[in-house]
Amino acid sequence: MKTITLTLKKKSPIALEFDELIPDKVFDWEKVDFEKYQVPVGNRRFPLTDYFDIEVEGDAAGPEEVKMILDGDFGRVKYIGCKMGAGEIIVNGDADLHCGAEMEGGKITVNGNAESYAGREMKGGELEIMGNTREFCGCSYIGDWRGMSGGKITLHGSAGKQLGECLSGGEIYVKGDCDILAGIHMNKGFIQIDGDVTRWPGGQMKNGNILVKGKLGILLEGFVYDSVVADPVIDGKSFSGKYIKYNGDIAVNGKGNLYLNAEKNREFL
Amino acid sequence: MAYEPPVTDYDEIVENGTCAFCGCNCDDLDFLVKDGHVVGVRHACRLGASKVMEDMDQRLLVPMIRDENGELQEVDWDTALDKAAELIANAVRPIFYGWSETSIETMKHGIRLGELVGAVLDNQATICHGPSLQAVQNVGYPVATLGEIKNRADMIVYTGSNPMNSHPRHLSRYSTFPRGWFRQRGRFDRTLVTMDPKYSDTAKMSDIWIGFEQNGDYGFYNAIRAALRGKEIDQDFVSGIPKEDIMELAEAMKNVQFGALYFGLGLTHTLSKQRNIDMAIEMLADLNKYTKWVLTPMRGHFNVNGFNIFMAYEMGFPYGVDFCRGYPRYMNGETNTIDLLTRKECDVFMVIAADPGAHYPGGAVKHLAEIPVIQVDIHWGPSTEIADVVLPGSFIGVECAGTSYRMDGVPIHMKKAVDKPETCRDDEWIIRELHERVQKIKAEEAAVASK
Repeated sequence: MKTITLTLKKKSPIALEFDELIPDKVFDWEKVDFEKYQVPVGNRRFPLTDYFDIEVEGDAAGPEEVKMILDGDFGRVKYIGCKMGAGEIIVNGDADLHCGAEMEGGKITVNGNAESYAGREMKGGELEIMGNTREFCGCSYIGDWRGMSGGKITLHGSAGKQLGECLSGGEIYVKGDCDILAGIHMNKGFIQIDGDVTRWPGGQMKNGNILVKGKLGILLEGFVYDSVVADPVIDGKSFSGKYIKYNGDIAVNGKGNLYLNAEKNREFL
Repeated sequence: MAYEPPVTDYDEIVENGTCAFCGCNCDDLDFLVKDGHVVGVRHACRLGASKVMEDMDQRLLVPMIRDENGELQEVDWDTALDKAAELIANAVRPIFYGWSETSIETMKHGIRLGELVGAVLDNQATICHGPSLQAVQNVGYPVATLGEIKNRADMIVYTGSNPMNSHPRHLSRYSTFPRGWFRQRGRFDRTLVTMDPKYSDTAKMSDIWIGFEQNGDYGFYNAIRAALRGKEIDQDFVSGIPKEDIMELAEAMKNVQFGALYFGLGLTHTLSKQRNIDMAIEMLADLNKYTKWVLTPMRGHFNVNGFNIFMAYEMGFPYGVDFCRGYPRYMNGETNTIDLLTRKECDVFMVIAADPGAHYPGGAVKHLAEIPVIQVDIHWGPSTEIADVVLPGSFIGVECAGTSYRMDGVPIHMKKAVDKPETCRDDEWIIRELHERVQKIKAEEAAVASK
């Protein structure tokens, strides 16, 4: 097991890009390799040691034996764990844009807030964010119709706009509230929201499941009432209580399911 | 409106000039020229005429550099260009913003410069029709030229747009009033619909006004689409509009021969942003099962569309193109000017033919005031107040010829009518000159590094 600890000593105003510092690439790096490494900042590269104190302990035969601990405010470090296939990254602070983007395996834990595009085009693995995240969590690349296709995102705080945009697989679990258009254009997968939703979950969704345990502000006209179901089982997970089930979005001939907590959304009945 | 007598005191008329104001790019203007100045403009709207007629009192005439006391001091061209080139060459996160009021020929040199130094190239789409471009990337673009719409359309819909104020000749020249090949009676053969929360000047002259609630666009279009699919609408009111009206409107839109939808910033900058356009485009896709419908964004500046078309053609992305890693990247919220400024990432900002000082959010302007700003423009404006290097350009379409793209993507050659002031230079020359000077600095740096 190899533990790589980066402790922030100077925060750059211009965002650093960490797409090259993933377990898959650095599992055989020693401390001296990190000290030689120049990290992309804007249109230049600067030594990693300008920004971080580096500690490397132990040995690893492959990326799955790597644990990277990022201590400090990483609010100006983009692409943390981007395209990683195995191993573990723990961010003890905030993470910037594209945290866990295109990741295929392994685990990322953010003990803080994550900026937009967390888990963009994720294919596998696990992303856990203890704080909030902003727009486009688990989304697609701009213009693509395939978003996150596997893995799981767990969000302990609340999510911003267009959560799980074009979701085509995997699971997103939000323990807090969620802003507009969760699961827009989604065609597969499952989004569970424990908190309240402002408006329009499932806009233009073709398939998949969305479950809202809290209160919904405005429902789209494209959803057709199906029935009230008791204790539904979705994607192998069972939920206790009564839920109003809608089908939609019929504007795109969608066959998705939207479940609203019947207790908290009585006015829709 | 006070009566203004026609201008009769002029030396010559330059015919078929193109207006350098809005995205209509009216190319039927006559410039009345006296002593090398445009003193009157025929056929233009008041907005266009007042821009084309020179306002020499605000004209930037000489290159300037801000001194230690914070005052802009006149310098020669060499000093100003060297200073600007030095700033650009040493920048780590430069942004070149603007481009929408200059020619495609200038942008060509801009891309070369941006690629050389690894800059972000962005234009006004980032604060206006960017969401439209994102939606187009998602769901396509049923486009038609303004000429086709003029000749064919029997229903014109303006949504989130008030062309009577922003594009005054749009209704009279392209959409509603002109007699077209299949619409011989002009206005009488067309139905004009305005969808806008405000009872705007365009709404006042429309046949139908749909005043849905603010931020209700997405839900409203979703309901129309549901109605088009044959669903009986459940809610009594959707986005503040009675369900009967929505059913009636859906039916009316189905039964036209050729419909055209124009949308403006009212659609791109409400709550659900790009998804409003996304939904509107898909609504037209649904309507095209019954009849012909097209849509066109109401672009603001005369060449804002040009930059997007040019960038998409050259680099694959329409705006907010980031060259910092050596190859073009594009990601909303990451490579757009406003985000980079509010995150305080940008360290050198070059503005070409735009006025961020007047139009940007406070936080962004605040950061602009803290970093070096290079301005290439023709007029003194709020951006000049925060600029550190000022390079006076020339006025495309009046003092200098160039190519621009109309809102529907038709390229138009804008001809020259008068000579520019002697102390000014063409935008194209300025950017080319900057490129050459930065190239020289970079070559020197590389030579030092290799030793």
